[in-house]
Amino acid sequence: MSKETFSQISPSEFFYRNRDLAGFSNPTRSLYTSVREFVENALDACDQKKILPDIHLSIKAVDPEKADPKHYILTVKDNGPGIDPEHIPLAFGTVLYGSKFGLKQARGMFGLGATMAILYGQITTNKPVTVKSCSDNKTLDEFVMLLDIQKNKPVIQKHTTKEATKTGLSVSIVLEGDYSKAGSKIRDYVYQTSLITPYASITFEDPSGEKFHYARIVKDMPRPPTVIKPHPHGIDVETIRRMISETHYEIPPLDNKMIDKVKKELGLKKNLSNKEIMEKAQKRWSDLSRPVRTIMAAMSFLNVDFEGLQKIRIDDLDIANKTLTYWDFGQSQSHAVELDPESPYYKQLANTVQGDTLLTFLTKRFQRVGPTTAEKFCEFAKFKPERRIGSMTNEELVKLADALQKFEEFLAPDPSCLAPLGEEPLSKGIMKFFNPEFAAVWQRNASAYSGFPFIVEMGIAYGGDIPPNGLKVYRFANRIPLLYDEGSDVVLKIVNETEWARYKIKGDPPLVIVSHICSTRIPYKTVGKENVADRPELERELKNALQYLARKLAVHMSRQGAADMAKKRANLYSKYVPLIAQFATELAGKKKEPNYKQLIRMGSEIEEQV
Amino acid sequence: MRLKNKSSTKTAEARKKRLLSLLEQQGLGIYDHLDKGQFPQFVIPSRSVSNIVYDKKIRQYILGSASAIRSSRNMSQLRSYTQLAWLAFFVNRLVREGKSSTLRDIYYSSQAFSIDFEDQPESDNIIVDLEAVLTSPREEFHIFPEERSSVFGDLTIEYTVPGYEGKRMNLSDHPDGYLIGPSLSSAELVDTSAELVIAIEKGGLFTRFVEEKVHQKFKAIIVDTAGQAPRSTRNLLRRLNSEMGLPVVILADGDVYGEHIAMVIKSGSANAAHLRELTVPDAKWLGVWATDIEKYKLPTIPMTESDIKRIYDLQKDPRYQEGNWKKQLDVFLKLKRKAELEAFSKYGLTNITDKYLPAKLEESKSL
Repeated sequence: MSKETFSQISPSEFFYRNRDLAGFSNPTRSLYTSVREFVENALDACDQKKILPDIHLSIKAVDPEKADPKHYILTVKDNGPGIDPEHIPLAFGTVLYGSKFGLKQARGMFGLGATMAILYGQITTNKPVTVKSCSDNKTLDEFVMLLDIQKNKPVIQKHTTKEATKTGLSVSIVLEGDYSKAGSKIRDYVYQTSLITPYASITFEDPSGEKFHYARIVKDMPRPPTVIKPHPHGIDVETIRRMISETHYEIPPLDNKMIDKVKKELGLKKNLSNKEIMEKAQKRWSDLSRPVRTIMAAMSFLNVDFEGLQKIRIDDLDIANKTLTYWDFGQSQSHAVELDPESPYYKQLANTVQGDTLLTFLTKRFQRVGPTTAEKFCEFAKFKPERRIGSMTNEELVKLADALQKFEEFLAPDPSCLAPLGEEPLSKGIMKFFNPEFAAVWQRNASAYSGFPFIVEMGIAYGGDIPPNGLKVYRFANRIPLLYDEGSDVVLKIVNETEWARYKIKGDPPLVIVSHICSTRIPYKTVGKENVADRPELERELKNALQYLARKLAVHMSRQGAADMAKKRANLYSKYVPLIAQFATELAGKKKEPNYKQLIRMGSEIEEQV
Repeated sequence: MRLKNKSSTKTAEARKKRLLSLLEQQGLGIYDHLDKGQFPQFVIPSRSVSNIVYDKKIRQYILGSASAIRSSRNMSQLRSYTQLAWLAFFVNRLVREGKSSTLRDIYYSSQAFSIDFEDQPESDNIIVDLEAVLTSPREEFHIFPEERSSVFGDLTIEYTVPGYEGKRMNLSDHPDGYLIGPSLSSAELVDTSAELVIAIEKGGLFTRFVEEKVHQKFKAIIVDTAGQAPRSTRNLLRRLNSEMGLPVVILADGDVYGEHIAMVIKSGSANAAHLRELTVPDAKWLGVWATDIEKYKLPTIPMTESDIKRIYDLQKDPRYQEGNWKKQLDVFLKLKRKAELEAFSKYGLTNITDKYLPAKLEESKSL
């Protein structure tokens, strides 16, 4: 370990210094981002507990007379599971405290955003956050607190409790914002969120007191996503390192508590000699827990009794050089013991430090990797399957990570961690929102890019209440509307590359496309998370979905076209035939017009000659 | 040949009767179809380039045998079919009532009958369609273009237009000449002392010719074609030639356009291939020839790119494949310079009438 010291900053301070990255660059954007973070947290919480969400969002000016930017009170209330009161201060008062670190689809990542909003509010107005939560249908806990930025911990100003009957969470902050500029985006956001969350009821009360209410359209919630192990393609060296350190056992600390545990497992009340202890351990070996076995193995080399064990600290176990280094408190000096590889205890120690074999590591820690695939991989990567992952050098780990990326025989990622909305709710949402003359939806099968599974769902709607202002694309990722940076988005690219004339769509059609990408990791182009990058796999899925829907639309259009044509034909003949009759009568010098009625009828009925 | 031309020539009254009868036949045909529950249709000789051929016998462009059907059964043709039926109906009224109209007028008149033409080119096209169906020029329908040219000389005409029926007029009474308009076009040609018709391209020279009494000196009727001769003017020239037996000579600028003005008077244009009786096959092009430019030492101006392109175009025309027409075209191309009629003014204002015209008339006898 290096002895140099670095001045450390807390995560809160880090985010404070880099708030632009998280979408808090100015009062307009900050107000919008705060709304998003709280609404998305509320929806995620309800999703996890399969509660049909009921979300209330309100934005009120502290002083309505003042000009923007000014202070606003932002409150988001949900009917979710609430939060256990003992976790509330940490959850809302520290940065990097979250429950979303597992690998599954969720709207937000890590739950950082809400804390950032609280932090931003505190920085701009010096006002505390108010959190009201009920998680047991009995008690409502109300916390008023500030965040200590340097120390990254909450400062509770007030904590009160009262009776409650329903679970739920309400978060209220005061922040500097500019509603005159952010208003239209926030309204769009709420509108589009309701479209992609048809099982939620969302109410938004704006600063003028106007209420936007989006009622629940469907009563069935989509299947919730499950947490899954990572796919080998989606892994980097750093992740492997973290996985390894979680896998193998550390040498347990030799404190009194541990020594008592050892004595208990060996069934000993008093101290014995090292030899006696080892004999006792031999007899009971199969009943011993793993930490105790490890300590026994170490004791065999240290040659100490329990008293001696209390006086030392194991510093390093160097399997490569077969030495055990320990610190003797009594002598205040470091000792090294040579390890005999022939000893049965050597293997115990070595396994503990070196962790699982590569084969076990691959099959246990990754999704959809069986022994056969793991062995094939080992051959491909030129590693022995029995190789202990804990003993790998840095270079080898890089080689391993590289091989994991390149090996092509791994099965596609498991999509069970994804939660698409489903065709029926999507379709119902579209029907309710646009009341179109034609609509179609399609959910593609799961696919993957770089080890991350994704599913594309798309809907198309034409005519009806949709204004004929040209094509409008609603983009969603993990049930979040994407409102900014539309131009550089992959969905827009696909839509614009489509030759709409081929699908009988011309001019400024009353056409809406709803695109929803679900993934454990959406490949956003920028940190703002508003536009999706054009990964080839994603592009292909989007294109297939769009073409399928466009073909369905084309069928509708030609049916519609035929009906329109028949009508047009009937109109034309009833307009022109009487005129022809009038002209012919005068030309022919006749008085009475010919009987042309049947011709009008025949004209309307002629099959279109193509 | 001359005999045949003569026999096909009709007086104004006869032509009117022929037209009215054609219109009535069309009307009866449509009426019968409607009454029997059949879709009426027009047969329109095709005016596409591939159907325009040069007929060496009658020495003009004519339409081949291809024709198009415009049927009221076809929905996409129903509108234009009705437009054509309306036009026939409207022309019938114009001719019967002795009223005249212009191309622009037709476009607006249609609106009173809920026949909506998108624009004037659409209505102009329908007029040409009717010309083709009835093989009669629009002037006979009493539909005239805006452009007008003039005539001057000892020619007595008798009006047939309402209000002037039977009234006679001599066309040498007014020195600015007489507009070749609807009433003049429909008038009967009664009498003339002239022995020659001189068609001239430019209004300025026309006035000079009147001032210099060319009509007396050469016993001529002078016609200002005002550039490319309008159809009514070409029709008048033809009638002067065929009804009054007067030879027609043409004076135009010494360039490729001038040469073609003469050619169109003589043998018609591709645009009017569906029509007859607009040509004067025996008309003679007096000049200005390309060879005259050097012979008379005329001041010249260089040809433009489009002048030269026009020469190449005309070299492909069957009428320019031989004789003087081909020769002059080749010389123009060699010179790459042109001379206007006014160029003679370099040698005095009367040079063109005193020297050039007599010389060329003499020369033309041998053509």
